[in-house]
Amino acid sequence: MSFKDILNSGKFVVTAEVGPPKGTDIKEMIHHIELLKGKVDALNVTDNQSAVMRICSMAVCRICLDHGVEPILQMTCRDRNRIGLQSDLLGASILNIKNVLCMTGDHVLAGDHKQAKPVYDLESVQLLGVVNSLNNGKDMSGNEMKGSTDFFQGAVVTPEANPLEPQLIKFEKKVRAGARFFQTQAIYDINKFKEFMQYARKFPVKVLAGIVVLKSAGMANFINNNVPGIRVPIELIDELKAAGKEKALDTGLNIAARHIKQLKEENICDGVHIMAIGMEDKVPVIMERAGLL
Amino acid sequence: MIITKKREVQELMENIKNYKSFFLIGCSECASLCGTGNQEAIDALTEALKAEGKDVTGGFVAKTGCQVLGTKVELKPFKEALDKSDCILVMSCGAGTQAAVEIFEDKPVYPTNDSLFLGNMTRFQMFDERCSLCGKCILDKTGGICPVTACPKGILNGPCGGCKDGKCEVSPDIKCAWVRIYERMKKLDKLQEFCDTVLEAKDWSQNIKPRTLATRPEKKEEEKK
Repeated sequence: MSFKDILNSGKFVVTAEVGPPKGTDIKEMIHHIELLKGKVDALNVTDNQSAVMRICSMAVCRICLDHGVEPILQMTCRDRNRIGLQSDLLGASILNIKNVLCMTGDHVLAGDHKQAKPVYDLESVQLLGVVNSLNNGKDMSGNEMKGSTDFFQGAVVTPEANPLEPQLIKFEKKVRAGARFFQTQAIYDINKFKEFMQYARKFPVKVLAGIVVLKSAGMANFINNNVPGIRVPIELIDELKAAGKEKALDTGLNIAARHIKQLKEENICDGVHIMAIGMEDKVPVIMERAGLL
Repeated sequence: MIITKKREVQELMENIKNYKSFFLIGCSECASLCGTGNQEAIDALTEALKAEGKDVTGGFVAKTGCQVLGTKVELKPFKEALDKSDCILVMSCGAGTQAAVEIFEDKPVYPTNDSLFLGNMTRFQMFDERCSLCGKCILDKTGGICPVTACPKGILNGPCGGCKDGKCEVSPDIKCAWVRIYERMKKLDKLQEFCDTVLEAKDWSQNIKPRTLATRPEKKEEEKK
């Protein structure tokens, strides 16, 4: 079953992500893809994540398919203008890539090519509209195409953005532009996330909660101080501290598993998106502890 | 106005190392407000050039340095000083420098400033970029705040995921343009309009360089002659 069909079937969906490496040695990446095969329902492939130049998302998506894993093509507007984006979408389509996650993309200043010219000819809402248009057989300029795409398009949302209201207004614009599913920024406060979901449930979209494993109290503090739209509650930081250095990661894995279990059992959202960020081998561990394997 | 910044003396001296005597052209408009092309700036550069063993044959503050014909007329009384100089230094923006290039066909012309952006003076000699001259204004749809300029990504439909406590991911010194637009439209009781407006991708064909514009009535063929 495809990712889209699984989501629509009502099953609690699990996605994870693979970050393409810098350079052509893909042994480790393929090991991670193989490790997650048959366990997750789809695998996001990041698009030059954090504006750091790496292998392109499309090529790695195709490699995922070759290894029997359904990919979600992450597509940012940072590096390509509307011609490049549409052309790559058509390319992805003929490579049998079915899912696309439309994002604006981190600014080049976040990455390792700070002197690059940022593009942003389009942004996430407009890119969703473009995918819709290509699905309907027309390009952005209204030209008829020979053969249309059949993408299942998604977007991202930050449930704990501050201020929240403009972020939610943008979420609604993404829904109106054709987003069918959302993967959220990492969430740690389930009660607050429930409030967001009460609101999000009003819209005909599927929502996967973002899960990022906390490796230590230090990492949690770093996130609170530096990462936009993520808040780790003090109780979790205390829990990690109490676990001590040796057990911190294990505790982080438990927290992730506990959250996933609660999200599923209480039917809070439609699934989870686990961002392991270099700890892909821990994804099966989390899933097992969450009772998903 | 066009915001300009003085070049470092070292860089300027390297540019003009092959010349001995200079005529300096300032500008009474933007460059004067920036302190890069007023009489004080001319005096300071004159001193700096003399300290490097160079001659300054003359200088003046043009009324509007980017206006080619006007500046040409203003330069007439300075013929002797101009003839004695072997290089023209223009202390305004890139447009002013190129006006001088047009006027002085046979003389090298060098800029003393870097032209930065179209900006507002918020306090004395403090400038903010507010307009990108994109060719198609959207201020009517964004509460009068330009996201093309105020957002480092120039995005058109709300804040990106990099907004942290109302600040931009690029720098905590930048307030998120879309939060500013949201707050202003909310204050003006235009939140519904903020929600309903989805801006299409910009038409960058309005921005193809070099742009020209003639706003005067077209002259008939015989009048041109």
